Amino acid sequence: MKMMQWGAAALAVGLVHFAAPAEAASGKTLQTVKARGVLNCTGHDGSYLGFAEVDDKGNWKGMDIDLCKAVATAVFGDPAKLKVVPISWAQRWPSLQSGDVDIVIKASGGTLSRDTELGLQFSMSYYLGTTKVMAHKELNLKSLKDANGGSICIPAGTTIEQQVAAYAQKVGIKLEPVVIEKTEELEQAYFLGRCDMYAQWGPTLAIARVAKGKVDEHVILPDVIAVEPEVMIVRQGDDNWVDVANWTLSALLFAEQEGITSKNVDEIKAKPTSPAVAKLLGAAPGMGKGLGLPDDWAYNVIKKVGNYGEIFERNLGKESPYKMDRDLTNLWNNGGVLFPLVID
Amino acid sequence: MEMVIVAPPAPGRLEDLRRRFFATPLQALLSLASLAIMVFLAWNLLNWAIFSAVFTTSGGPEACQAAAGACWSVIAARWRIILFGLYPFEEQWRSALACVTVVVMTVLSCIPAFWTGRRIALVWGAGAVLYYVLMKGGVLGLTYVGEEAWGGLALTLFIFVTSCLIGFPLAICLALMRRSELPWISRTTGIIIDGVRSLPLISILFTFAIVLPFALPQWLAGDKLYRVILGSALFFSAYQAEIVRGGMQGVPNGQAEAAMALGMSYWQRISRILLPQAMRNALPATINQFVISFKETSLVVIVGFFEILASGNAAYGTGEWRFAYIEVYAFIAFIYFVFVFSLSRYGAFLERRMSVGER
Repeated sequence: MKMMQWGAAALAVGLVHFAAPAEAASGKTLQTVKARGVLNCTGHDGSYLGFAEVDDKGNWKGMDIDLCKAVATAVFGDPAKLKVVPISWAQRWPSLQSGDVDIVIKASGGTLSRDTELGLQFSMSYYLGTTKVMAHKELNLKSLKDANGGSICIPAGTTIEQQVAAYAQKVGIKLEPVVIEKTEELEQAYFLGRCDMYAQWGPTLAIARVAKGKVDEHVILPDVIAVEPEVMIVRQGDDNWVDVANWTLSALLFAEQEGITSKNVDEIKAKPTSPAVAKLLGAAPGMGKGLGLPDDWAYNVIKKVGNYGEIFERNLGKESPYKMDRDLTNLWNNGGVLFPLVID
Repeated sequence: MEMVIVAPPAPGRLEDLRRRFFATPLQALLSLASLAIMVFLAWNLLNWAIFSAVFTTSGGPEACQAAAGACWSVIAARWRIILFGLYPFEEQWRSALACVTVVVMTVLSCIPAFWTGRRIALVWGAGAVLYYVLMKGGVLGLTYVGEEAWGGLALTLFIFVTSCLIGFPLAICLALMRRSELPWISRTTGIIIDGVRSLPLISILFTFAIVLPFALPQWLAGDKLYRVILGSALFFSAYQAEIVRGGMQGVPNGQAEAAMALGMSYWQRISRILLPQAMRNALPATINQFVISFKETSLVVIVGFFEILASGNAAYGTGEWRFAYIEVYAFIAFIYFVFVFSLSRYGAFLERRMSVGER
């Protein structure tokens, strides 16, 4: 009997251990990364437009990749000290837990189950993913309210289906869903006129409209069907590493708020506009010590990767083929929901 | 009594054509109609693929998208990603040479003159070392390139060849063990084989790539690539073992008994009598298994490897070339076709040579 109890206890301990194998101690991840000399960050198994794609020479680029670069630069002062590990959607959490990657930056939302059941921890949101609806222009829709009785293309096997149904019910209209699994097929169906509208994750929608080459013939309706805050995700338990992620993002946002770009960062560092700016750029001490980073880490990030606005415009916005609006993913003083933490 | 069958005189070619396709007016109509449909389809396909297609990158993606036909410039602009994945751009000649090495190695070992143990071992040993040195570098002045950067066709070929290379001998061992006279060996092997066969390949790959590192100590886990290859080799061997066992069961008992009567040892009986005949029986199914395994290499995308399909996805997955996915997939299908078709034609050649059908 005693033996059996011991066996059961050992098994239980083993299971708990197996379920959360990498309960990281504070500061451990940063030490590991520094010792390795390179940050392992998530890429994609193929291409995820705008966020992680491959240029003609096989180098990674995109919104998520640039944030990986920012974290690598914060730690090492050099964006080249980054190893992008190609990873499928299904592989994200096991790879993080097993230590294959140090941080997941992969257009992934912060959810209850990821937070509580999978043993993960989030940074602040770096992107507001909104579910939106695109419609053919000749239908003259002002908002989804006008679309009563219309047909709508929806990706199968996603939460978007429920979100659209709930939203339609809320505004009191009836829609006729056309549910299709594969994105290429789904878009084909919409562009060939099988559906009046097309509901999709905002960036994917905007990119589809641009890729079709006929931006003027389709409008993206102002209705926000649902919001998913995309976050950087790390292992539970390493508070220091969460801080590094949060403050990297915060530095990017603060730099944008203060008008510090990769081009003028040197001038501003020489003549800081405020004590907080001086601290941010390492002209005054104190920015790095508590994080375990050098004092000029934020200066390096802004100098070598750019501020948040530069990263966005380069990958998704005006300088990219996708020409996306900042929308909610903007600073608080520009009509968005992003904000930096306070540097005191 | 002897039966003589006299064949009617062979008809001329024209006469044959008339008899087959134009015997009655209705048949003639149907024949013409299907011919018309085929010509129509072929014309449209050719028109799309060749006559209206854009082949150069000079106009850029916009001109290409506007064209009525296929946009092959996506291949011209991004072929290096399809073939070599994320391998460093300046070093891609090494990846190309490595691909050639694998192909040459395979072709050489398909030539009957190389079918002696020593020559095969030499070809494969030299080829494997050459491939590894070329791809990984770190010696002879070649810069180091880690396995995670390998990709495209080079990776697909590597995974396929190494899984077969490890899987085939393993399959023979498993087949022999399953036929063992000691029940605990044969039963255990049976359970292993059937266990592996009842799992989907994806879950095996996922387990080997992602779950195994939790269970193994760091020094034993090795690189993800080799774990994945081991997983797919295991999967291959479980299926191939059953094929080999089927071949062995087709060899009459008298063969083994005669060998025993001549005083041959167990290994002599296996290697000289049983296996050569069993392999001959198993050849068609074996070629089939090779073809299936080649195509199944595309599943490693699920554990984040840039094999040729994932590389294709990355090749069209960029703002400018996003519309050209059909062309990229057509190109990849063509590559698959070249490899698989040569494999099956070689299988047919082997069958003729060993006259499998004529026993």
